[in-house]
Amino acid sequence: MQRATSCAVVTILVLAALAAAQTTRQEMHFKVGRRASVSIINQYGAISVKPGTGKVVSITATLYSGKVEIDHSKSRRRVAVFSHLLEGADTETGRVDYEVLVPADASVTLHSTTGPLHVEKLHGDIMLEGTTANVDVRDVSSGHIHVRTLNGPVTLTNVSDGHVDITSVGGDVALNSVNGSVVHVNSSSGKIHYDGDFGDAGDYALTSHSGDIEAIAPAYASIEVVARSVQGTVEKDFPLEPEHTSFVPRAGSAFAGTMGEAASSVKLLSFSGKIHLKKR
Amino acid sequence: MTCEEFRRVLPELGSGHRIEQDAHLKSCGACSDLLEDLNAISREARLLQGSEDPSPWVWNSIEVALRQEGLIRQPQLQHPQTPAPVLDWRLRWLVPLVATLVIVFGALIYQRGTGQPQLSEKRMPPAGVVTANLQSGEVMVGEDLQLLKTVSERTPAMRATYEADLRSVNAYIRDAEQSVNSNPNDEVAQQYLSSAYEQKAMVYEMALDRSLP
Repeated sequence: MQRATSCAVVTILVLAALAAAQTTRQEMHFKVGRRASVSIINQYGAISVKPGTGKVVSITATLYSGKVEIDHSKSRRRVAVFSHLLEGADTETGRVDYEVLVPADASVTLHSTTGPLHVEKLHGDIMLEGTTANVDVRDVSSGHIHVRTLNGPVTLTNVSDGHVDITSVGGDVALNSVNGSVVHVNSSSGKIHYDGDFGDAGDYALTSHSGDIEAIAPAYASIEVVARSVQGTVEKDFPLEPEHTSFVPRAGSAFAGTMGEAASSVKLLSFSGKIHLKKR
Repeated sequence: MTCEEFRRVLPELGSGHRIEQDAHLKSCGACSDLLEDLNAISREARLLQGSEDPSPWVWNSIEVALRQEGLIRQPQLQHPQTPAPVLDWRLRWLVPLVATLVIVFGALIYQRGTGQPQLSEKRMPPAGVVTANLQSGEVMVGEDLQLLKTVSERTPAMRATYEADLRSVNAYIRDAEQSVNSNPNDEVAQQYLSSAYEQKAMVYEMALDRSLP
């Protein structure tokens, strides 16, 4: 019995050592100018981007096999890094995890099929794309945020003064304390959740086919709101000042009206999903 | 015989004409010209059959142009390899006869097969081929099938994801189109349609751009 246990332990240690031997780390550092553009195209694996110090882009890549290589190109204001899959690579052996530090004013473009994708504390433009990747963006301001996923869930937290455009077929989209001049979410079957005050002078459009839409706002929100679901139900917790619309509001399937000074425009549109405008 | 009566019997005319038809042809230049034109078309059609086939590229170009113009939506899955032979107008009377025979033949086959599973029900689609989801009335169009084939070849693991998403956005487009058709001036309905097409475009871009190795 004791001998069998020893054999098992040795086997596990050998396998762990082999796995560790296959894992390699690569570090890259690039000096860049103001408002640099950083692009990471990764087929499989995580990408995390945070602000660093100075005008340097620092990239740490962890490779899990020899079936993937890292290519890069650089100019004064642009850094592009690619995971280059070799013959026979798959989601495991082709995986590369990136940890990236960039100047806070850099614009980043990230792509990973599987993700996850994480960006925080930047104020440049952010473009994220992933098929099933989980996307998480937090504490960013003053930039365009474009996110596209097929089924990956998308979460944005503490986004101020942004221009937000999210398209996802089946991924749930959660926006927490997100405001800006434009906040558009387009989903097919994913749910859309918004929790915030809709800022001021913004254009908010949350649209889905079958996914439910839930918007939570404080009583002081200043909005002109239109909500409509062709086949689903529509509810609101707020009394609204009625206004003229291009359609006839019908209790339970559509409503329109204003709150406060109607600073921001809010459209909540679903074809067959439920819509609920909740009071916080 | 009037011109109208002559044109009514025109498809049934063989090589020989009756006396009253001949008399009308002699007295009516319009019908005589028409008959001459039809005979000329008939002769030229036989010659066309033997001409050189256009390359598949020509058919593809035509299809792409028509699709871009919005004149066709359903793709031509099989491009004709030879020009369709023009049916001799004198043989048009055969069409209803052949149709009747096909129906009778089909009815006989059906009667023989009653009580047994139909061949088409037992036949499984070959691997990698997407079939129409008849329950939801959704049919994958040719471009979608081609896209899924490309995804299958490059990353088989992602195929199911793309297929599910294509079905989802197709359902969205279908609902939005119905909504727009029922109320063309409805801005919200138009927004649904725009959003649905935006989603489909995204699926295509992600599949064909750089989402896959």
